[in-house]
Amino acid sequence: MKATCLTMLLLLATAAQAGPAEQIAGYRSAAQAADPSFKDFSAERGRELYYRKVMKNGKMVSCASCHSQDPRQPGQTPAFRPIGPMATAVNPKRFTDPQKTEKWFRRNCDDVLSRQCTPQEKGDYLTFLSSIR
Amino acid sequence: MKRATVFVGMMLVSSILYAEEGEGLRVPMPAKISKAWKSECGSCHMAYPPGLLPGRSWQAIMNGLSNHFGNNASLDKVTEAEIRQFLVYNSADHDVRPLPATAKPTPTPRITETAWFRRAHSEVPSSVFRRQGVGSAANCMACHHAADKGVFAEEDVSIPR
Ligand code: HEC
Ligand code: HEC
Ligand code: HEC
Repeated sequence: MKATCLTMLLLLATAAQAGPAEQIAGYRSAAQAADPSFKDFSAERGRELYYRKVMKNGKMVSCASCHSQDPRQPGQTPAFRPIGPMATAVNPKRFTDPQKTEKWFRRNCDDVLSRQCTPQEKGDYLTFLSSIR
Repeated sequence: MKRATVFVGMMLVSSILYAEEGEGLRVPMPAKISKAWKSECGSCHMAYPPGLLPGRSWQAIMNGLSNHFGNNASLDKVTEAEIRQFLVYNSADHDVRPLPATAKPTPTPRITETAWFRRAHSEVPSSVFRRQGVGSAANCMACHHAADKGVFAEEDVSIPR
């Protein structure tokens, strides 16, 4: 609960200049607050989260099911609308609006993992998607 | 020219659907569009024009956003209230009754399961809706290229091969 409030505050504080780097910095402070032994984000863990498959209503789903197997490529919603690529290298609009980023983490972590993602997972995820060239 | 076509198209739709469906259907888009509706309800599919469903169906949809056809489409309270009002007030029946406090969860209504939709598409086989370039009947834009502007005229229909 405390961590959530802190995340919100940090997100608000970084809202003015909010590229992926600023959002990652926000998640870093939140991850440190949640776990004092936290070291740093890892693109490898972010990749694992992106491709992690979970059984949902009889189907295997992952972040990649909508966001595409290659994050440099566009994805598609279950209602057949295209989704812009997730990799920041090909889509400069990615992770530039903290409210939007938080809204979709809230929805999509619930859809796939049936729970909320932790600040560490969010930071890992953004680190992975910003590391792709 | 374009305007005239659009207008005639809308007249056709509404007269046909008004004639056959007690509820009536208002396809023209409201003059004042809610930006929140356009962006929030247009992120997974096109933002379906409010005139395609009666007010109580939009209410049911807005009540069930946390499990919306298997997806979490939930919104913050302020945005939800704005969109709910926009949809209900501009709905097929211009519903202006006070918003119910809490409604029992009901199955989420579909446009594609209304009687008028089935009738309008009686000549489109279900296999066509499942085609690669379409996906499902809910993907109006695959065939009606100006559906997001409320235009469903025959001239603007083309079915992907
Ligand atoms: C059911 C389809 C679906 C799945 C599965 C899915 N997403 Fe998404 N995601 C979307 C859509 C739609 C958007 C918004 C469209 C856009 O931003 O272009 C989005 C956007 C996002 C954003 C916002 C990006 C930004 O620019 O701020 C994040 C973060 C995100 N998703 C994370 C995830 C994570 C993490 C997972 C897996 C746990 C996941 N998504 C799985 C559909 C999905
Ligand atoms: C997270 C993604 C997502 C968001 C956001 C979303 N929807 Fe949907 N919606 C879906 C999916 C998935 C379907 C089912 C599509 C299908 O069956 O092909 C759907 C279907 C619908 C349908 C029924 C279409 C039919 O088959 O007749 C309506 C109406 C609808 N949505 C309204 C809304 C409204 C209003 C909003 C905004 C408050 C909204 N949606 C936001 C994912 C979303
Ligand atoms: C596979 C392609 C396809 C899809 C997807 C589709 N339609 Fe249609 N639609 C048609 C065809 C074909 C007609 C008949 C054309 C005609 O005769 O005007 C039609 C007719 C209509 C009409 C009557 C138009 C008139 O002038 O009588 C309406 C209204 C309409 N569609 C709405 C929708 C809506 C809303 C959706 C999405 C929820 C949708 N359609 C999805 C192909 C499609």
